[in-house]
Amino acid sequence: MLNIIDLEKRWFRYKIKSYIPHAAIVSSVLIILSIILIYTTQEDSVVATVEKPLHQNLIVQSESITIAPIEKIETEPIYVEPKPIVVKKQLPLARPQYKEVTQVKLSPSLDFMKKMQDSRQPYYKNEPTNGRSRTVRKETSTTKKVIKTKAAPKQVRQDPVAIKKIQIKRQNTQNDIFEIIERFKKNNNPALSLFVAKKYYELGEYKQSYNYALITNQINKNIESSWIIFSKSLVKLGKRNKAIKTLQKYIKQSHSNAARILLDEIRSGKFR
Amino acid sequence: MNSIYLKSKDVFLDIVNPKDYIQLDRVSTIYQSLKDSIKKPLKMILLYGRPGTGKSMFLNKLHQDLSSSQSVFLYKTPILDESEFYKTLAQDIFEVRYSGELNFTQFMKIVESKNFDVVPVVLLDEAQLYSESLMERIRLLSDTRTIKFVITLHKTEKEDIIAKEHFQTRIWESIELENASSTELKIYIQKKLMKANCFDSANMFTGKSVHRIHKITNGNYRDTNKLLYTLFDIYTIYENNNKITAIKTEQVPNKLIEMAAIHTGLIDA
Repeated sequence: MLNIIDLEKRWFRYKIKSYIPHAAIVSSVLIILSIILIYTTQEDSVVATVEKPLHQNLIVQSESITIAPIEKIETEPIYVEPKPIVVKKQLPLARPQYKEVTQVKLSPSLDFMKKMQDSRQPYYKNEPTNGRSRTVRKETSTTKKVIKTKAAPKQVRQDPVAIKKIQIKRQNTQNDIFEIIERFKKNNNPALSLFVAKKYYELGEYKQSYNYALITNQINKNIESSWIIFSKSLVKLGKRNKAIKTLQKYIKQSHSNAARILLDEIRSGKFR
Repeated sequence: MNSIYLKSKDVFLDIVNPKDYIQLDRVSTIYQSLKDSIKKPLKMILLYGRPGTGKSMFLNKLHQDLSSSQSVFLYKTPILDESEFYKTLAQDIFEVRYSGELNFTQFMKIVESKNFDVVPVVLLDEAQLYSESLMERIRLLSDTRTIKFVITLHKTEKEDIIAKEHFQTRIWESIELENASSTELKIYIQKKLMKANCFDSANMFTGKSVHRIHKITNGNYRDTNKLLYTLFDIYTIYENNNKITAIKTEQVPNKLIEMAAIHTGLIDA
């Protein structure tokens, strides 16, 4: 006789046993999945924790930034209000003023100076230049300021009247002359001294133009324009005969047509 | 008590009765080939297979079928004593009673003195139990062509060696019996039940339940018989305890199959 109750119990145990491997597989799969999920969520949370404070900080910062001017406007309306107004007004005005500055930029003398810097020659010692050099340095500093104003247009924009003063041609030529004299002292280049002589002649400083033309002729006797400036300066200084003699001597050496024309003009009285 | 479950239970009693032989397509083909082999002038036929594949039933069936037409001698249990073996054969086949010890030489003299028109067939079941020397003598007897031997062997590793060493060159016909497939098992169960007029019980075995039975028994007829016997025993107990309504009757539930398998030891619970 079978013991059914016992057999049912054994069957129940067998069923549980038979489900164990399935349950183990399912549970292991679930565990693996949960581990993967936890791992991925942790990664996400790490990213989130990294991202969140950044956002929060950004918000706080932005708030601090935004709150600060509002408070200032409320408490000190006099100080706060003009600042944005100044900025707003400057921005549209800046563009036309900037164009004027670019005009200053295009002065030809500065490029010329830069080119002359490349060729270095022995220092010119004969000329006493202590006082002049100081003045030159001062004025170069002013030119540097002008350059700076080009680079930083805000300063230029703030006082346009000052820029107009710098734009005076005379000042530029004077600056150029001092700059070139400085270069000439270093290089002893006759082209520079001739340029200085011509500039002084244009400015009406005939004594200086005479001196620099003489220096040029001492360095190089074959420069036609230097002899002409030298002669013209003599005429302007009232030494007409000396000018005629020097031109005659030069014409004999060089057979220069320009010198002949000038000689004729001096003789005829066209050039005074 | 005329319970269908009790009646069905008795169908699966582990008794080798040729009347209970179930004709399955594959099995009937094998059986026919065995019958044909006996008609051939073969010295020895080997019938082998795993325990419970129906070898004994085959021999019984063969004995029943051939006994009407020729002299067939079936030895279900092996005669392990050599002298007793010869004496039994001499008495049954040649009707020679021998009181004292009968050795192989004496028995051979008897065999050679007799001549039959139809060679008598000796069916030896469980031949793996015979000693090696006796098996060798059986081979020598078969060589005389006076007696035809049909022997059955369990197909185990050891028995395979015996088959190889002693019968490989001497066996002219070898038939292997195998376990039933799921479909064959269903036919086997249903035919067996229907043969006993247990139609309701036969209808209880659906493909699903038979598949479960096949999974447990691997299609072994003996194990199936054991399992189904216990199964119907469980049904009977449920019926006696008035708990039959608690279980399925239109289809054999897996629970009961598994319970029967646990009880028979086919499932280790």
